[in-house]
Amino acid sequence: MSPSAQSPAAQGAAQAARDELVSAGCQVVLEEAPADAGGEAMAALRVQPSSAAALGRAVALLRARRIPMRVRGASDAPLGPPVGGALVDLSALDRIATIDPASLLARVEAGCSVAALETAARRAGCTLGPLLPSVRAGSVGAWLAGPTRGERGVAPSRRETAALSVTALLRDGRIAESRLAPRAASGPDLDHLALGGGGLLCVIASATLRLLPAADVLAASWKMGSLVGAVEALERLCLTQNAPARARALAIEGGAVLAAAWEGPATARIDRARAIRQIAADPSIDLGDASGWVRGTSGPQSVEVDARWRDLRAWALREYEQPGAELRLLGLHAGGSFAVLTSAGSARAEECAHAAQSCGARVLWPRALRDAGAWWEQEGAGPVWARLREALGSEEAL
Amino acid sequence: MTVPLPAATREGRELARELGAKLGAAAVSTAPNDLWAASQDAWPRLSLARMAGQARWTPALVAWPSDVGMVQAAVQFANEKKIPLVPIGGGGGGNGAALCARGGIALDMKRFAAEPRVNAAARTVEAQAGLNLARLEDALRARGMTLGGLPEGAAASTVGGFLATRGGGPSSSQLGKAEDLLLALEAVDGTGALLRTHDGPSRGLDLAQLLLGSEGTLAVFTAARLRIAPFPRARVQLGLRCGSMAHGMRALQAVLRAGLRPSVGRLFDPLSSRLAGAHVGDHALPAPLRALLHSGQQELLRAALRMPWVLNGLAEALGGGALLAFQFDGHGGRAFDEAAEEAGLARRICVDAGAGEVLTGDAVTAVLEHRNGAMHPQLFAAGAFVEELDVAATWTRLPAVLGAIRRAVSTQALLLARIGCAYLEGASLELTLVGPAGPLAQSARARPRAGHAPPELDEELGQAELRSEQCLANALSAALDAGATISHSSGVGLARQLMLPREHGEGMRQLRALKRAFDPNGILNPGKLLL
Repeated sequence: MSPSAQSPAAQGAAQAARDELVSAGCQVVLEEAPADAGGEAMAALRVQPSSAAALGRAVALLRARRIPMRVRGASDAPLGPPVGGALVDLSALDRIATIDPASLLARVEAGCSVAALETAARRAGCTLGPLLPSVRAGSVGAWLAGPTRGERGVAPSRRETAALSVTALLRDGRIAESRLAPRAASGPDLDHLALGGGGLLCVIASATLRLLPAADVLAASWKMGSLVGAVEALERLCLTQNAPARARALAIEGGAVLAAAWEGPATARIDRARAIRQIAADPSIDLGDASGWVRGTSGPQSVEVDARWRDLRAWALREYEQPGAELRLLGLHAGGSFAVLTSAGSARAEECAHAAQSCGARVLWPRALRDAGAWWEQEGAGPVWARLREALGSEEAL
Repeated sequence: MTVPLPAATREGRELARELGAKLGAAAVSTAPNDLWAASQDAWPRLSLARMAGQARWTPALVAWPSDVGMVQAAVQFANEKKIPLVPIGGGGGGNGAALCARGGIALDMKRFAAEPRVNAAARTVEAQAGLNLARLEDALRARGMTLGGLPEGAAASTVGGFLATRGGGPSSSQLGKAEDLLLALEAVDGTGALLRTHDGPSRGLDLAQLLLGSEGTLAVFTAARLRIAPFPRARVQLGLRCGSMAHGMRALQAVLRAGLRPSVGRLFDPLSSRLAGAHVGDHALPAPLRALLHSGQQELLRAALRMPWVLNGLAEALGGGALLAFQFDGHGGRAFDEAAEEAGLARRICVDAGAGEVLTGDAVTAVLEHRNGAMHPQLFAAGAFVEELDVAATWTRLPAVLGAIRRAVSTQALLLARIGCAYLEGASLELTLVGPAGPLAQSARARPRAGHAPPELDEELGQAELRSEQCLANALSAALDAGATISHSSGVGLARQLMLPREHGEGMRQLRALKRAFDPNGILNPGKLLL
């Protein structure tokens, strides 16, 4: 159905919203949209603000009119507007404002792609560290507002969000920006109203991200008795404060190959030596360039997950003695790891996702297979969630 | 000094009778000693009030729940009666966060202290909110584990208080503070509903992190699952002299950038390092500063405190430089060698950055174990006020933050400074402010030991509190202007809340939205966080 086929009232409302958004400094396209559950067609808006100020005005306008909205950054996966709502496209807000190599921080707009930021950070001698391929391919805003809240593994075996400070837009377009401090105790961390929120409670306009010093990679590899043995060896390293930056384990005939890499500028050598003492397995396997092997890519049927060690052990056990089953771990920490899983013999991502979910892992990518749920309700906070949405004036959109 | 105990009010006794019918008579009290105990914490300004014989922020009654159902019943009772309910822990808070600013029920969580359930293999522990942190750490050590980020006042802290103020300690550089250690939280919100947060792979908005640091204003914490780490098998300490605090900051940052993760990395200004017992060289200490170091010289200290700017000038002119102290841990089969290897690497990095004169052994241990809090009684007795604060900023801003605070308080108080926790992107700055409180201490000594304090003491107390408050406000204001946060790991409480609008800006509206969502009737710890 085209916008012209809608009721005159719906057409008028959409047109009025469009005009206001244009005068707020946004490029706006009225799109066709499917009819809603009641059978009425609602025009959808694709809104592209040209600046943070324009984004603020657009958010205020959409919230005031109670128009549901979704947010999309540059290089994020294709995403349409919600029914009768608006897609706020942040691809024009892609500036890297500053990179501060002294404090290892980057201030960046939410629409900027993670890959572009990594390139700029590398030029300044810094890095974001090992990240899942889908994170690297998406925008900073999508990473922070997505289910992982911008989290990653950092030494020694900890997990923390990369966001040191978030600039969030409230329902009236005003800006709330947290202090730039390594840690704070000035009440609840309000950034957590934006991190992982999918834009539901507030929209992330920009953020200051923590960087790491860039360093050469030192890797080691082993021949293990099984894939489970490889996972257990990695878990032991993480539980003794020696998490590698990344690791890869591949099931082969009669066992598994394991490789791990460390990236601390002056400590990678020490950490690698400790790991070799600790794992005490056959280090004679020849992978050629182990550092390169650890970085290898996975097939299109692979899925990205956030998993606890027990989930990964269960998955490895499920793949028992099936050559070709593979884990690539990026962001290892004491509790588990982000990982790319490839089930042996699975030709489709759905099969890999099912295998991962049945072991307790949470699927992050492909987006269509991502786990969804009313999490706060399950935690006993359903009424809190309703009151919070009311208090912050947000609309359900995702 | 004796302090008249607060008397129970008729309303308090009536509320206690009704709440006692729900929780059991033994779980509530309006006894004066219980009311007094619930009105105390480690906020230095309370020492001034005690000196003047005053008990402030007294609750109407105290309740001791021992299970979740009792907490829910108490919260529902407070809702029905529309009276405040303030969860209190071990009394170790330094900002008055758990004081009953508007009376009501003090919900003392210390009976919520079952033995912790340690899962050493999974590196987790489940602990109830009233469990004393030092007891928790003892239980962990017995299993070869540690919480790591323990605050210095762990003996007077509970798990709930630690989480409610986003606590941390000297080892937080390595293992993180409350926000890094928390895996899951159990809490009762302001309506009496039980919340149990998920522990596992991330699922979007993090309920536990939103509750953390809420200082009892959003929910009453009842239990938590926390990340633990193996207790090291060996430790190596190292101390280095740096030309100045700025030099020391650069060396400390270089160590972290190299990838090293000391369990402790602290930097002391020249006076702090001397106070901690690290005497280097033959630099003579001026007499007024010597008064700070040695007890029994109260007259000299009292005279010196009248001119804080002179003390600050003497401290700045003090030779010996700043002291950088590290502790490295070893875990594996070659634990000592591993820790020593890291310490050796750190030493080379620091020497390359301009540090010199290496200290080891007892000298460094003494510095790391020194607590400025031990000087408080002597300072208060000499007529001083003391304010302790911990701000945090990025490395780029940190020297400016320290400079701005020095300038802001130089005429009001002697300033002692140290870096408490260092991270890759910045660090916390722990500051002790010692200034003249006026004639309160002398008048208090002269007052009769029994009975109520004479009225002039009230005026002198007001004067002392005003001086103390203004000095703290100037320091925090300067820190905010220079880009720091007002608290790293000790919370906000009554002491710092007036600075919150400058800290959060428009975020105050988000904070109020959280309050409406979790505590719609506003009964939980009202008057804190400006809520």
